[in-house]
Amino acid sequence: MYEGPLEKINDSTYRIPKSYKPGMRVDGIIYASEKLLPDIKKDKAPEQVANVAFLPGIVNYSLAMPDIHWGYGFCIGGVAATDPENGGVISPGGVGYDINCGIRLIKTNLTLDDTKNKLEKIVNALYQNVPSGVGSTGEIKVSVTEEKRILLNGARWAVQQGMGTQADLESCEENGAIEGADPDSVSPRALERGKQQAGTLGSGNHFLEIQVIEEIFDEITAATFGLFKNQICAMIHSGSRGLGFQVCDDHLRAMAGCLSKYGIDVPDRQLACAPVNSPEAASYIGAMRAAANYAWANRQVLTHLTRESFEKVFSRSWQNLGMDLIYDVAHNIAKFEEYVINGKKKTLCVHRKGATRAFGPGNQALPRKYQTTGQPVIIPGDMGRASYLLVGTEKAEQETFASACHGAGRISSRSQALRELDYGTLMQELKSKGIEVRSAGKKTLVEEAPSVYKNVNDVVDVIDAAGIARKICRMRPLGVIKG
Amino acid sequence: MKKYEILDHTADIRIKVYGKNLENLFASCASALFDFLVKCPPKKNIKKEIYLEAENYEDLLVFWLNELISSFYAYHFLPGQYKIKLSDSGNKKILNAVVAGTDFNPYDNKIDKEIKAATYHGLKIEQTDNGYAAEIIFDV
Repeated sequence: MYEGPLEKINDSTYRIPKSYKPGMRVDGIIYASEKLLPDIKKDKAPEQVANVAFLPGIVNYSLAMPDIHWGYGFCIGGVAATDPENGGVISPGGVGYDINCGIRLIKTNLTLDDTKNKLEKIVNALYQNVPSGVGSTGEIKVSVTEEKRILLNGARWAVQQGMGTQADLESCEENGAIEGADPDSVSPRALERGKQQAGTLGSGNHFLEIQVIEEIFDEITAATFGLFKNQICAMIHSGSRGLGFQVCDDHLRAMAGCLSKYGIDVPDRQLACAPVNSPEAASYIGAMRAAANYAWANRQVLTHLTRESFEKVFSRSWQNLGMDLIYDVAHNIAKFEEYVINGKKKTLCVHRKGATRAFGPGNQALPRKYQTTGQPVIIPGDMGRASYLLVGTEKAEQETFASACHGAGRISSRSQALRELDYGTLMQELKSKGIEVRSAGKKTLVEEAPSVYKNVNDVVDVIDAAGIARKICRMRPLGVIKG
Repeated sequence: MKKYEILDHTADIRIKVYGKNLENLFASCASALFDFLVKCPPKKNIKKEIYLEAENYEDLLVFWLNELISSFYAYHFLPGQYKIKLSDSGNKKILNAVVAGTDFNPYDNKIDKEIKAATYHGLKIEQTDNGYAAEIIFDV
């Protein structure tokens, strides 16, 4: 329960003033609505927004998106930018254990009618082809030398192996491989864990979904993306698996000592951090980028397996099925990006812990095809209701360090879900909505039931109303593969 | 005395663990963790020594649990019995442990839940009337 101050600024923004706790360097700003506020105040997430405001060098605000919920260190949905020239720090807790957990959207040229009698076949093929579940291992066996190539080349590695095209890379944030990755900063243990899990979906909230576009909000932009009503799409949510978890753990351990070494005072040790210009930060940044590249390679492999599954069911090539990648976004990452602060151009370290980059039209980091539209922002909801595609705006670049939400956000705990819901009823409920589900673990499925999440419509409406991203279309789930 | 109880947390696993002394608390935390991961009791045919040091007992507890998580996933060592010695050396807290367990491949065998790591968030070791207690959040 949060009982501290939360002042309404307007219908979509609320402030935690820096006077709330001595030590806060900036205000906290939460994007929300009257409807979402009661759930947001139910746990300690707003307290975490206030804690992040303690980070040395933090610029403007400690931000939270409307899918905010209680995490560890940063809240989920948290965004913070720090200025390296002003003592700014980087915190592995602002990225999380699943480095470059992210999401991608693949279109097809199939319509709802085309899949009517084939949905079960598609879902079965995907479930068979795509390794998922707790501790799943992949078909891809790599040596340490090869794994280091993955850490340097990201999705490019998978494309070099024949699992995708150049066009796929252009449709990924950072072209699927961020510069500056340092495989030598990745521990042998992390490499060992990564070797066993390349090309796997994982468990928890990770998924692969077949969706249909049920509503278009902006016909012109949708048409530019090649999207139309009743079109079938695939959405993949996965991250850097055990490799990323180990990288985060290794570097948090190293940074625990940095708090006293650099005289940093934060109210939560999960916010352990180091000045961006320190050797500890350099080592973490190199390793984090390597883990991010692993995740991009992973999602590219999963894309390849998804395309293969469709090819099998429809006996057509994936190119013929029009299975192009719309975009791939990272939602757990720290990036160096340029912003104008008080009239001066600055390179800031932007932490996004469960938040999506949302560059507006004209941003040079976007591929040419998205220069006029702005960056595709992919927002998964829950497996029973909906997911969204939005685009970034200039306003996001001015207000939120070009960040939007990353999902619906949980409202109830895993243990509560297991107490109150049962597998059979849930499966029946989804079946009655026409949703085919395959899941490796019954418990995981119950823990991820639609009712444990906020309604994604409410979350996305706040983002749209605040003008930090614009709604393009909404997708409804048809088939779900869960770990 | 109960070893641990599950508390609510919106996204992750939060537990409160009890021990009659600090060593016992560290062992109970490890048992609780592997209760979530693997349901079958492990054999104890392999012994492994673990040495860790930290600035305080809270950090040491997180280091200890994450050491066990990572050796489980990376080297397939499933622990089942813990002999722990904690000590002070200057301003360092030190853990010496002998852990008995077995070779268990989490990728060939079914495991119950994927736990990414033990986190430092809100972690506090408290002295109670009956010994010690700690609240821990595991990222899942």
